[in-house]
Amino acid sequence: MNIYFVWILSFSLFTGQLGLLVILAWRKLKLSNREVAIDQEYDFLSDSFSSYMIDTSDDRFIDEIQESPYKFVVLERLLNNYVSLTKAGVTSPIIAKLSEDFLAARYAKQLNRRNWALRMNALHFIEDFHIQSLTPLLKKKLSTVSQLDQEAQQLIRTLASLNEPVTISVLGRYPNVSARLYIDVFKRLDALTKLEELDAALKNEKDNKLLKQAAISYIGMAGLTLFLPRIEEELQYPDEEIRIQALKALFHMQNMTTPELLTPFLQSASWQERMFSAQVAGALQLSRYKEKLSDLLGDPVWRVRYSSAEALTKFSDGDILLTHIANKHPDRYARDMATQWKTSLLGSEQ
Amino acid sequence: MENFFLVLAYVVIAYMLFSSLSYLGLFTIAFGRVKRESQLDKKESTEDYLRNQFTYPVSILVPAYNEEVGVVSTVRSLLALEYPEKEIIVIDDGSKDKTSDRMIEEFKMTPFPFALRTHIQTAEIFSIYQSSILPYVRLIKKANGGKADALNAGINFSSFPYFCAIDGDSILENDGLLKTMKPIIESDGQVIVTGGSVRIANGSTISRSKVEVIGLPRNPVVLMQIIEYFRAFLIGRIALSHLNILLIVSGAFGVFNKHRVIQAGGYNKNTVGEDMELIVRLHRLLREEKSKQRIEYIPDPVCWTEAPESLEVLRSQRIRWQRGLFETLWIHRKMMLNPKYGSIGMISLPYFLFVELLGAVFEFIGYFIIFGGFFFSLVEPQVASALFLVTVFYGSLISALAVLLEEMTLRKYPKVSHLMRLYFWAMTEAFWYRPLMVFWRVKGIIAVFQKKAHWGDMKRKGISS
Repeated sequence: MNIYFVWILSFSLFTGQLGLLVILAWRKLKLSNREVAIDQEYDFLSDSFSSYMIDTSDDRFIDEIQESPYKFVVLERLLNNYVSLTKAGVTSPIIAKLSEDFLAARYAKQLNRRNWALRMNALHFIEDFHIQSLTPLLKKKLSTVSQLDQEAQQLIRTLASLNEPVTISVLGRYPNVSARLYIDVFKRLDALTKLEELDAALKNEKDNKLLKQAAISYIGMAGLTLFLPRIEEELQYPDEEIRIQALKALFHMQNMTTPELLTPFLQSASWQERMFSAQVAGALQLSRYKEKLSDLLGDPVWRVRYSSAEALTKFSDGDILLTHIANKHPDRYARDMATQWKTSLLGSEQ
Repeated sequence: MENFFLVLAYVVIAYMLFSSLSYLGLFTIAFGRVKRESQLDKKESTEDYLRNQFTYPVSILVPAYNEEVGVVSTVRSLLALEYPEKEIIVIDDGSKDKTSDRMIEEFKMTPFPFALRTHIQTAEIFSIYQSSILPYVRLIKKANGGKADALNAGINFSSFPYFCAIDGDSILENDGLLKTMKPIIESDGQVIVTGGSVRIANGSTISRSKVEVIGLPRNPVVLMQIIEYFRAFLIGRIALSHLNILLIVSGAFGVFNKHRVIQAGGYNKNTVGEDMELIVRLHRLLREEKSKQRIEYIPDPVCWTEAPESLEVLRSQRIRWQRGLFETLWIHRKMMLNPKYGSIGMISLPYFLFVELLGAVFEFIGYFIIFGGFFFSLVEPQVASALFLVTVFYGSLISALAVLLEEMTLRKYPKVSHLMRLYFWAMTEAFWYRPLMVFWRVKGIIAVFQKKAHWGDMKRKGISS
């Protein structure tokens, strides 16, 4: 072993580290000073920003922000805070104008940078501030996407927030796409486009089962009762997953025009169908299914027993029913479950 | 005899150079990964999941044994978590102190007749309590069975598809759970376990279960542990996770797919390294099923924990860790160098055997030869010097590199003085801290053949005011 080799290796690493340490310490100092200056600037501009947001004729803010050495960062923070704190922020024309005037060009540049994090941040902010002028650039980027990685997914979400339904057909090109992404798109489209796209997805003309599932799921989550009859129709669909999604949607919507449609599901061979139909029966307080729900407390699947007991708590006489089951049900597990639910109607944090 | 020590010295030098280079390789991988994400606006990238139906509900399991000092503040920090749907389950594993009493009193808990499922056999459950003010806070009182048994009881009791295991003395950052769940949500369940970085809270100001000011402790033993955590979490785990061969998700904090854990048989009660053993068993399950699911680690520091301040407690902890590592490698020895298990069998397990486990033995021999070489002419001074240099290289310089990596990427410690102090102490590692660790780790290997499993016996001061 040549000791000089080890000496050289250790010494080079040590001196390299010392150099790096000095640079990092200097950078830390600089960044810390910059952060203090930004915070001060932010505090200073907050007042005039608030005034401007209330009355745009008071344009002190515009002059001040233009002179600020940290105008991009400070404005970004001000807008972001505003958007996250106020409901109207997302659709505010003032936010749109400020971001178009001051930030659009910067984000356009960042979208072409090699730094992944900066590109991702830019996509998030474009979404938050609804910077419409960047739509063509984003669409161009989308056309070059070859895999549905994190950045591509965010690109699709951002474009959807700019009301671009083309994102749905783009997602359809990827075999590994999930219902989650379709739902993310539905969530972001504006009301009219959303209804059109949901309608098309339910019709399933492009034979995209996942899209149909996502549409049903979204309709349920958003409580779009306009589609209620269509969702009930889906209970007859041959595919089990679609039926399950339809049951879940009905549970979320807490509504049904034809409750008897539930009957076959309460005795289905699929435990998910039994579980969700029990939940629907409870949520809608369908008295005709009380007896069936009592039977389901003895179901071999724990989740079905749990949901059935929970469903019984929704009825006005739920405590009496559960007390009866806790004492008389032939199945021990059913008795245990009934005891749990009669003791408390509270479950987990919602 | 002199020749024997000479050959031994060369073997140790070669080993240390190899290990150092492997660390540098891992450093390169880790640097790329952390650097890539360091400028990402974390709030922007997680805020959407706060109101998303795909943000799966999570059961938070807090196994506790004699945690009367920290358990309430841990639960409080969990209550403050920004997460849409959760339940908190504290499992009192037969504590001899007032762990349960503190919980019952603080959260106004009353006995509750839950219909329990027994996925995994555990020691006897005495009673289950539910908070009357926060019904999603529960307490299981059970017979002592060890941490693994306590976690298994929590798994049986939990109602959600994912569970988060967190130590009773740890504090999670507000968005910590959301950040940790992000890879699971974004992968649509393809990620079955995520581990987050654990940081040492000693020296920081934690008030009302929230980290208010990040600082450094005065105690050099704790400072060295901070540096050690950098080395382990920032270099090792990130790189191994990137290669999908991560074998450890800290017992202090991790999120798991419950179905998969039950399928794997839950936590193993027969080892003190139950956290690592479970991860290896899950990898084994995935490889045997040829599944594409994976285990990930996120570099963001999300969990703060109390580190031992006394050498006595540290010794006991390190002996237990080393013993756990040995037991896990022994239990899964069939996977070692077995191509059937892919990179886990061919790279990761051998790495843990030769670098993490046997490293202590090699280093121990190295210190012995250095001492013998300089003072008793066991080997030529030149050889002893070479050995000394590689020891410093392996011990101090790599740790100092971890400090610099932290500064280049996450920059959690705000002051220049923090950076300087950490670097300075890292440089001293090879001269006092590492020999201690090496000695205890060797004792840990010996302990495998001696002792029964038990909870750590650290006396908590509590990290939150």
